[in-house]
Amino acid sequence: MSDCTSIDPHITPYIDGDIGVHERLLVDEHMRVCPPCHSRVAAEQAIRQLMHTKRTELAGDTASPALRSRCAALQRQRATLSLTDSGGGANAGAGLASAWRTRLVPLALAAGVVAAVGGASMYVLTGRSSQLLAAELTADHVKCFGMNSLIAVKDDQAAAESTMTSTFGWHMPLPEAAQRAGMELLGARVCLYGRGLAAHIMYRHNGQPVSVYMIPKMTRSDAVVDIMGHEAAIWSSGGRTFVLVAREPEDVARMTAVIQTALH
Amino acid sequence: MRTQGPKGAGPNRINRPGTFEADALACVDSLYRTALRLTHVPADAEDLVQETYLKAFRAADRFQEGTNLRAWLFTILHNTARNRARDRARDTVTADSDAVERADDSSGAWPQAGLAETPETLLLRETLTPDLQAAVEALPGPFRQAVWLRDVEEFSYAEIAEMLSIPVGTVMSRISRGRRLLFDRLQHLRPVNV
Repeated sequence: MSDCTSIDPHITPYIDGDIGVHERLLVDEHMRVCPPCHSRVAAEQAIRQLMHTKRTELAGDTASPALRSRCAALQRQRATLSLTDSGGGANAGAGLASAWRTRLVPLALAAGVVAAVGGASMYVLTGRSSQLLAAELTADHVKCFGMNSLIAVKDDQAAAESTMTSTFGWHMPLPEAAQRAGMELLGARVCLYGRGLAAHIMYRHNGQPVSVYMIPKMTRSDAVVDIMGHEAAIWSSGGRTFVLVAREPEDVARMTAVIQTALH
Repeated sequence: MRTQGPKGAGPNRINRPGTFEADALACVDSLYRTALRLTHVPADAEDLVQETYLKAFRAADRFQEGTNLRAWLFTILHNTARNRARDRARDTVTADSDAVERADDSSGAWPQAGLAETPETLLLRETLTPDLQAAVEALPGPFRQAVWLRDVEEFSYAEIAEMLSIPVGTVMSRISRGRRLLFDRLQHLRPVNV
């Protein structure tokens, strides 16, 4: 006869019906002569059956539409990244330029929709969402610069400001101090990320990509997030949240100071 | 013991080429409710799910076609949750603490063998869903995760072991102890003289 110790590893598979014939017979035989193990199996079987009976009710929590939307947006970002990664030749660049411009149209429509429902104020302000915000914008930073390296868009300051104002109604003068500090303006666009729209100003500093994002109608605590091989500085000013993304922490600190000073 | 998962464990047992994103997004409900069991706070659960998808989409190239996408996503979810808990140094109680398991050993969760009634039958008939939900929520984390992943999400022992980074034997042990704890707690909710 088997003892309780040797039977123990077979009890859970026995209850789940996930056991071989030989082991099942061993457990059956042991339970006939061991009341404690018999009671144990009966109790665990009852709970398993109860859980299965009420499984549908237990699994009643569902993801909110907002969460579904955010996760789907991450998937779309990934699709765009894949498109960027697979490109490389001149023809691919031309195709991507077309896709890039085409994407602005639904973005403009989305801007109106988002503005109508409160836009970025949909944010849930938790400490963890700072990390998510940084992750989303860093992914966007990589994607946008990847795209830009293929189609080589370069706007001057007036054009960048005009894009923001005429297309999206955001009056956002760009800080001249940034360019005096050696930040070369590449352009401005509006990016759709997980929870709304963000103005995306693309710079290059010492040959390295730098992004400054502005999210209206949202404030959050200052934070510096190390994410995906980049650093993202997050701060708020004038009822808006700013996020500066670059690869080198020293550059992030210096350029953040430049932008913050200019905003004041 | 077989290591394959139970039947009816979701739509993603077999993955078809080109449907990675759609199949992944179809798991959002089960990921969310499992995240909710881990965090107890809806906003935190949403963050956890979103970070899971962010990582999954970024690592999509490493997913092996033909393997269980749903289990892969759950593994990312639990890894992310563990990393977050580790980052919060003030969380001194770890989910994998052996101390938790030893403490449960002394809890005396065995039902009495000599009862004339069949407590199991009464339990099945009389337990209300809110009571069961409360009992599940009250379980220590390691047991709650194991029981939930097995009995609600219906993953195999091997899949749960992968998700929780623990041996298969520990998975079975936690399921067993979790079920006994649930039985014991639900027994205490019933009137004495039933």
